[in-house]
Order: sequence, then C-alpha cells, then structure tokens
Amino acid sequence: MDRNMFTGGFPGTISRRGFLRACAIATAAMGLPMEMVSKVAEAAEDPKRPRVVWLHFQECTGCSESLLRASHPDLAALILDLIDLQYHETLMAGAGPQAEEAFEKAIEEPNYILVVEGSIPTGDYEDFCMIGGHSAMHNLKRAAKNALAIINIGTCSAYGGIPAARPNPTKAVGTGDIIKDKPIVNVPGCPPNPYNFLSTVLYFLTFKKLPPTDIYGRPLFGYGRRIHDQCERRPHFDEGRYVEQFGDEGHRLGYCLYKMGCKAPETFSNCSIIRFNDVEVWPVSVGNGCYGCTEPNFWDTMTPFHERLPGISLPVNGGIIANATDIGKKALGITAAALAIHAGIGVAKSLAKGKKEEE
Amino acid sequence: MAGHGKDYEKVYVWSVLLRVYHWVFALSIFVLIATGLYIDWPWTNTWMEGSHQWTMALMRYIHYVAGMLFTMAVITRIYLWFFGNKNEKVWDFAPITPRNIKNMFTTAFYYAYLTDSHEHRTGHNAMAGMSYVMTILLAVVQFITGFYLLYPESSFFVSLGSIFGTQQTARFIHHILNWYFAIFALVHIYIASWNDIRNPEGLISSIFSGYKFFPKDHH
Repeated sequence: MDRNMFTGGFPGTISRRGFLRACAIATAAMGLPMEMVSKVAEAAEDPKRPRVVWLHFQECTGCSESLLRASHPDLAALILDLIDLQYHETLMAGAGPQAEEAFEKAIEEPNYILVVEGSIPTGDYEDFCMIGGHSAMHNLKRAAKNALAIINIGTCSAYGGIPAARPNPTKAVGTGDIIKDKPIVNVPGCPPNPYNFLSTVLYFLTFKKLPPTDIYGRPLFGYGRRIHDQCERRPHFDEGRYVEQFGDEGHRLGYCLYKMGCKAPETFSNCSIIRFNDVEVWPVSVGNGCYGCTEPNFWDTMTPFHERLPGISLPVNGGIIANATDIGKKALGITAAALAIHAGIGVAKSLAKGKKEEE
Repeated sequence: MAGHGKDYEKVYVWSVLLRVYHWVFALSIFVLIATGLYIDWPWTNTWMEGSHQWTMALMRYIHYVAGMLFTMAVITRIYLWFFGNKNEKVWDFAPITPRNIKNMFTTAFYYAYLTDSHEHRTGHNAMAGMSYVMTILLAVVQFITGFYLLYPESSFFVSLGSIFGTQQTARFIHHILNWYFAIFALVHIYIASWNDIRNPEGLISSIFSGYKFFPKDHH
C-alpha cells in the first residue's frame, strides 16, 4: 500500500489542504519566504522519506506527547508520514525482543536521522537508564555511529534538562557532551514546540542540511529572538503595569508578569509567536510567567520560578507615557508662562510709548 | 571697524524667547532623530536588552520627552510669527510680499554663485524664511502624528489623527518627516556657516547673543 498519504493514501488522514496549510505554517516558522512553501511541500512529499530512529532516555515522554497532541489537524499524521519512523519506543507496536530486533535492524543501514529524547547518565551511573539490557550511553553511541545527523528534542537531550538539575544524581548530560563527530541540532523546550521540531525536519528535507543555529545549537528561526521582545504583554512592561500577585486586578487585566518571576527577558524562543497546539495559547498568555525552559540548565538557573531576583531594575516608575505626559504638562506651563511674559512686556512697552507720545 | 575700512553697527535682532525656542528646537530635533531611528530599527535588541537595562524603554521615554519640548518650541515659534519683534514676524520673511518674492530669487542666485549682490537684512532672507515656514508647518504635522501614535486611546488625538486614516499611515508620515528634519538640520547648518563665512554679519553668533553686525550704510 502506498504509504505516501499526501497524494491520497489512507482515508481519514491528511487532506491536501491540511497538508499545504501545515507546510505553510512550517515555512513561516522557519522564517522562509512564502514562495518556499511549494519547495517545502515538494520535499515533504518525496516518497523517499528519511528514516528516523527515535531514542528515549531519562525523560518523561512529554516531548513525544506534545508532538502527538499538536492539535493542528493531522500534524501527528504529518510527522509520522513525513518521516519513515523505524524505531520509537512509545509509538511502536512491538515490545520486548521484537523491539530490540527492530532497533538492531534500524541502525544497521546508515544515513538515518537520530532523534534523541532524554538525557544520558554517565560514569558510574551509566546503568541508571537501561533499555533492553543496554545502557543509554551504549545505545546512543551505537545509534549515533551510522546516523546522518542528530536532532535533540527537548531540553533533556539538548542540555541534560531536569534529570541533570542539581545535584544531578545520575551525572546526566545532553547528547552533545557525548557525541562529538556528528552534526547536532537542539530543539529545546520542556516540552519544545512541535512546530520547531517539525520545521527542523522540514528544513533538513528541503535543503539537505541542518538549519543555522546559535551558540547553544538551537535553530535560529525558532530561538533567534528573546521572548520578551515579542511578548503580547510587553507594552504593559514598558508602562510599568505589573501583576503584583496572582489573581489581583493587574492579573485579571493581563498586565506584565515580570514581577511574578517571568523569565522571558532571558529566554530565547518563539513561544509567543507560534504558540502551542493550535489552541493559540502559551504560558504567558494564560497568566503564568515564562520558566525559561528553552535555556540550558533552566531548572537550576531560572528557579525560583515565581520570583525575580531582588533589586531588579525596571524601566520606569509609573510608566513611560505617564512620565512623558507629566513632563509635557510642565513644559506646556513653562511655555505658557514665557509667552505671557513676552506678551506682557509688549503691552507694557506699547503703553509706555503711547504715554510718551501724549506728553 | 578698522581693517575693513567700514564702520559696523550692532543691531539687536533676536529676542530672548526666539533664542530659547531655537535651541530647544535644535536640541529636541537632534535627540528625536537619534532616538527615533533607534525605535524604528532597534539594532541593539537581543544583546543589550535584558533584565538590567531596557534600551528600548529608555529610548522611547527620551523620545517622548523630547517630543514634548519640540511641541512647545513649535508653539512658541508660531506665537512669535504674530507677536514677535519685527524680524520674527512671519510676514517679514514669508514670500508673500513683492519685496520678499524678489528677495527669494536674488538669494537663490546668490547661493548658486550666479551673482555677488547680497541684500543686508536684519531678519531672515525670504528663501530661509520660506524653508522655516515650511519646517514649522511640517513640525505641526510631526507632533500631531506623534501624539496620535503616543495616545492611541485619547479621543482628542484620535479625532485629530483620524485625518491620517490609520495608525500605520500616521507612523509612515512621522517616519518620513524624521528624514525631512535630518536633512533640514544638515542644510541649515551648512548654509548658516556658509553665510557666516561670506558675510561678516555675525549670523551664527546672533542666535546666541541676539545681535547682528551690519555696515553702517546698509540701509
């Protein structure tokens, strides 16, 4: 059976319209011009789908969960049909020896994309994460050997994530600390936005290379800008309108969550732009500050999540516009006074002159 | 004055209020252009903006305060068009009288190095006058578009600003005029310096002191 569902495959999967819409969203998310949509769609429709091996280590499966719950119509179908998924512990039907066999078979033939979810325990703690009798380290090294490139989905595989939080009982690290000889791209987040993952895959399919990244290995199209700079609450920040307490008047009015510990000013991601799961929400839009989950070591550096460090600088007291208005009123007063004095002198002079002429 | 073989007289031309206006206007334009260009193109964003400095917020604040001063300077100048001294009144320099229209052409020829004749005027020549009238009128457009953008919820400025249609149109006009003022400042400083070098009238010092110098027989 034709597995290429886009050209009319299984009933009840993805429609042509839905497919193109998803391609357009991914193209926009990658920051590519709209003329690229057809090229992206073409790459996505290529019957030679790239084989993908998906490994799970120390993690909560939230990244896979988020990907599957992407409620854009048929995104799950799209991601599963876009790639030739050879091995994925959560999704595969096989178990036990069958699964192990599938894994061995999958990594035999080279040039697949290796997707890693979860961090890897190291050193004496290597056997804290065992799959089919082998340690995570062992499986990763074997799977990476024949891989074309590695995509780390989620903060755990990218930087260690929560398993690596202090005191890091398993000495967990991210993929990049172990595999040095393969191109690696990180799609961090806890969980990451499914579209950033999808767009990374589509970028790879379209251009046959990984997207350009920042110093933390994150694709620039998704993580090139600070959340704070593109937040819908930013005007409230500039105007000094802050939520002082959860549930207060400011919270109800949608004010800035900076004082509630929002880490958006230190966090690079596009959450506020593409939002999550097609219900058009993201943490800040529903009234909770950003936790900075796309940053390395966020669990250590961004906590406590609901507090700002003391003595933080805020741009204004009372608001930029309010202050400027106040100064404007004073300037208006001074101008009016200056004009009044000027006019007064003029009138006095002409009176004096008139008197002189009378004399 | 000895050396020139001519006697010069000192003439009081610019009132205190006009000089205050001039420098507030000049300073505010300089600040408005610098901050305005930053707001349009915040090139330090993502590397300077953070939890300890808020460059964009600061730039906007300075821009708004300078905008207030700019507005007050413009209002003062318009007041002086009608109630200033004889050099400051609009009909002294606007090209609306036969004398001024003639002067506008002679000045143009003089600036183009076509003639050497130069009319000694205590106030502005008509060519400068025309550009100043235009500049002040454009300044009014500039502060109205500015207030329309600054107070998007105020019914007063919204009704004033509705002539621009949308906020985007107002923003566009505001942005284009930013370049007008930058070019105006450049040309203004050049021509003032040029005149000061060609004619020993103390043109530049007059905007500090209020006095110009003319040959005694210039009338």
